[in-house]
Amino acid sequence: MAGLWYVRRGLSPVAQLRTRLAAVHTGAERRVAGSYPAEVQPLVDDLNELLDHQEKTVQRAVGKAGDLAHGLKTPLALLAQEAESAARMGNPALAESITQQVDRMRRQIDHHLAHARAAASGAMPGARTSVLKSAEGLVRTMQQLHADKRLTIDCTVDRDHAVRAHRHDLDEMLGNLLDNACKWAATRVRVESSATPAAIVILVDDDGPGIAETLREAVLQRGVRADEAAPGSGFGLAIVRDLAELYGGRIALDKSGLGGLQARLQLPRAT
Amino acid sequence: MVEDEPQLARQLAAALNDAGYAVDTAADGTRADFLVHTERYDAIVLDLGLPGRDGLKWLEDWRTQGIAVPVLVLTARSSWHEKVLGIDRGADDYVAKPFRIEEVLARLRGLIRRASGQATPELKCGAVNLDPRSSRVTLEGTPIRLTGHEFRVLSYLMHHRGRIVSQLELTEHIYSRGSDRESNTVEVFVARLRRKLGAATIETVRGLGYRMGDAP
Repeated sequence: MAGLWYVRRGLSPVAQLRTRLAAVHTGAERRVAGSYPAEVQPLVDDLNELLDHQEKTVQRAVGKAGDLAHGLKTPLALLAQEAESAARMGNPALAESITQQVDRMRRQIDHHLAHARAAASGAMPGARTSVLKSAEGLVRTMQQLHADKRLTIDCTVDRDHAVRAHRHDLDEMLGNLLDNACKWAATRVRVESSATPAAIVILVDDDGPGIAETLREAVLQRGVRADEAAPGSGFGLAIVRDLAELYGGRIALDKSGLGGLQARLQLPRAT
Repeated sequence: MVEDEPQLARQLAAALNDAGYAVDTAADGTRADFLVHTERYDAIVLDLGLPGRDGLKWLEDWRTQGIAVPVLVLTARSSWHEKVLGIDRGADDYVAKPFRIEEVLARLRGLIRRASGQATPELKCGAVNLDPRSSRVTLEGTPIRLTGHEFRVLSYLMHHRGRIVSQLELTEHIYSRGSDRESNTVEVFVARLRRKLGAATIETVRGLGYRMGDAP
């Protein structure tokens, strides 16, 4: 302890400022902390004000992007219903064409909204999300949304594991992986985490049919589905990949010990 | 059905009617809140983006007031984070906008079936089988033609198999609010169902109501 104290004390104010600023930059801290000599302190206050301002501006922009995206969904829902009436009135070709375009627009909206959020997260340092909190909420949600399948979902996540990502984005990544696992699972889904000094690895396993090795890379590509008959948009895994990469992480698919698919999501660890 | 966009509300109500449901619509939360506290519903379809107060806030109120009606949420906000928030506030299922009507119907059927504790989609009582997906009814395997009202009476009794259902409860279930309802018409529908399905299919429990299947 005493040694550490001497090292701290030995740092010049400017060196201390640089260390703290680097911590803000990597996301370990949200603001420049510490106390500084009177001639340096105003500069630190200015920096923190600038960070406040930046955070508010980015939040406003993301809010607007969300409003735009959600504002488009209701007119799209109306258009989809019109297509269904067209089908009933004997014009299935028109109905199919409208439905396809509505679907494309919805995917575009979801995709770009997820990106806008993630890009904004990059601009707002200091993100830290508990993997357990995110996983527990999602497991509750999956139990409810897939209630008909009566799945057993095991969650073995360490309380101290946290990633350097915003809650919204971790929920989106993990939600897509869990939802995909629940759709395909026969009876069991498992989510667990492990840690290295710099990263958290989250594994999501299911006992479903899995994905053939030759197709695994393809399903992570935008707009490709392993099985066209699968429920959902098939866009989910591609979004997980995009988000993971924006945060400096990655996603890989493998064969699961449970017999189905294993998704392996790696993200930078937050301390 | 709680939906503030009138055209979407009309289209959805029409589709739900076609599928055999009696539907009340509310264009805002206040109206929905009133209806939820005065009527008995099998399910609520709730749009979250309501004018004034958010749909989730209303839902949270209903749950804390002990209203357990299954709720299917329709929403433009379909990120997983938002779904978790919705489920934790008491939503039972989700459909993201834009949606296909079949998806809404399938989810609704699932919710109603789960709420009444039925594990298999097809309802069976003696020789009568009812498939809620296709609205088909068979007697010993032979298809039976039923009118909309007859189907609703039968479906309700079969969903609550073994329990006594009062005339009033049936009346509330088969008619939309505000439509002309007389409880003696329930007797008429029950009589017609007995003619089509056999006299012993529906039991009259004197002074209390009707019952299908044995008492649990």
